[in-house]
Amino acid sequence: MMAALLTSLIFIISLWLIFTEKINRTITAIAGAVLIVGLGKGLGFYSESKALAFVDFNTIGLLLGMMLLVALLEPSGVFQYLAVWAGKVSRGRPVWLLFLLGTITAALSMVLNNVTTVVLIAPVTILLCEILGIAPLPYLVTEALLSNVGGVATLVGDPPNILIASAAGYTFDDFLTRALPVVIVVWLSSLILLRFLFHKELSVRPANADVLLQLNPAETIADRAMAWRVLAVLGTAIVFFFLHGALNLSPAFISLGAAAAALVWVRPDFDEAIHKVDWGLLIFFTSLFVMVGGLEAAGVLGFIVRFVAVASALPPVLFGILFIWVIAALSAVVDNVPITIALIPVIQGLGARGMDTGPLWWALVFGAGFGGNGTIIGSSATIVIANLSRKTHTPITTKLWNRRGLPVMLAACAVTSVMYALAYPLFVR
Amino acid sequence: MQVKDCMKRNVISIPADATIAKAAGIFVKHHVSVLPVVDDLGKPLGIIRLSDLLSLELPDFVKLVADVDFVHNFGAVETTRPDPELLNRPVTTLMQTVITVEEDDGLLRAYALMLQHQLSDIPVVNKIGGLVGIVSRVDIGTAVLSIWPSGPKTQ
Repeated sequence: MMAALLTSLIFIISLWLIFTEKINRTITAIAGAVLIVGLGKGLGFYSESKALAFVDFNTIGLLLGMMLLVALLEPSGVFQYLAVWAGKVSRGRPVWLLFLLGTITAALSMVLNNVTTVVLIAPVTILLCEILGIAPLPYLVTEALLSNVGGVATLVGDPPNILIASAAGYTFDDFLTRALPVVIVVWLSSLILLRFLFHKELSVRPANADVLLQLNPAETIADRAMAWRVLAVLGTAIVFFFLHGALNLSPAFISLGAAAAALVWVRPDFDEAIHKVDWGLLIFFTSLFVMVGGLEAAGVLGFIVRFVAVASALPPVLFGILFIWVIAALSAVVDNVPITIALIPVIQGLGARGMDTGPLWWALVFGAGFGGNGTIIGSSATIVIANLSRKTHTPITTKLWNRRGLPVMLAACAVTSVMYALAYPLFVR
Repeated sequence: MQVKDCMKRNVISIPADATIAKAAGIFVKHHVSVLPVVDDLGKPLGIIRLSDLLSLELPDFVKLVADVDFVHNFGAVETTRPDPELLNRPVTTLMQTVITVEEDDGLLRAYALMLQHQLSDIPVVNKIGGLVGIVSRVDIGTAVLSIWPSGPKTQ
């Protein structure tokens, strides 16, 4: 009992520190993990070897491989190419620009890290808006929202999906048949909603549309040969992801294999490429695994499972929808990664008590994925866009987000709930 | 040789209560790249550079996009001017911390400071901190070269 209380206390304080951002989240997680292992050794409920066993190396490997691929793709200029292309095709018509940039961001986020996608698309968006003489706000808000929406669609799109797939044994194709259809509907309805939320801004026809037409996307490609090579490797990796269930290959193997192939083929400045890997995030994940392992070893998660099991007396569909909304609300205020890592053993525990876990896993995918759009600090992508906009003449404020971002998140959860209820049998194991 | 031997003594400066618009006028009139901001006693409080004023007009994307070479026409931003309200703020809102050298300092010390802080000009102060001159990289660089063995004698 003592062990459970103290471990929960360390975990809750860590979550609080991560939420308030007073200390870097990775520092908090390392310190929390060390405290929990130390406590576990002292009270005899946890040890170094048990902690290591809780680390999901499939997730870490998959993330590392994708980060290396993106590190090689980033300097090639492919992202700028797409954004400039969108600008040209839109011919300066604001609604077209919004739809095209939003769609490109969502599509890229399906295979690449959301933060990378917005970090690379947003500066070019600001460029397009400035030469057109229009405010970049509607486009930046749209990109932040849709990168999170797109990320929900595939196994590799978002860290929670990687974690859930790894824990529940879902394949890439499971995500394409369950998550992708929901994402397509949410993506379209979000764009339509955004078009109305920003009605005033989008009805101004920019005067400088001809300047946009003078841009040549091809000039944004820094190194054509490198771009093609990395894209070829990425394309091959995606084909392998489709087949990974049939070939019995782990997603981490495919991702690290692709990274190795790209590194051998492109042979970049390795120090520069390895520097772009987000080591802080990988350490954050590892530390969270160790912390949640401690929660489980101390019996905290068992207690939560018994508690949640009481609520499972509700009709299963209603229970699933409630799960989506509770997780979405949590993800809107706290990072969705610790929430997902903590809930995975809870869902597994419910499964051990005979509950069908399928619908709960998908509720976790949707809640954790769409919830981050609820607040300006809800996800890494929204934080990055907000920070970026703070360096410009038109910063995104919390007030603006609550009026233009939050409604889109609520609509996404509502649309998802309806689809979840209608297609409930599809989510059952 | 010391800094005082190659500095310009006629230094253009600006009082702390002047507006940004006033500073812009002085830049244009005297064709200079930096203006030390001084207090009533002539001590430097900060420095305002031509680039600080230009950043008010520079579009945001220039800071954010790594290579803007593909943008041949800047479109709307070419004709956007800073907000008049912004130009009426005091120069102190835009000024940067000033790094100074003393008039008795050596040339290489002054040059090293300019290199490390990426400065093109550096104000010179006397023992009690009053502004007495300004030196540029060109002033210091040519002064150093002029005392090289094969330097000025070949003229």
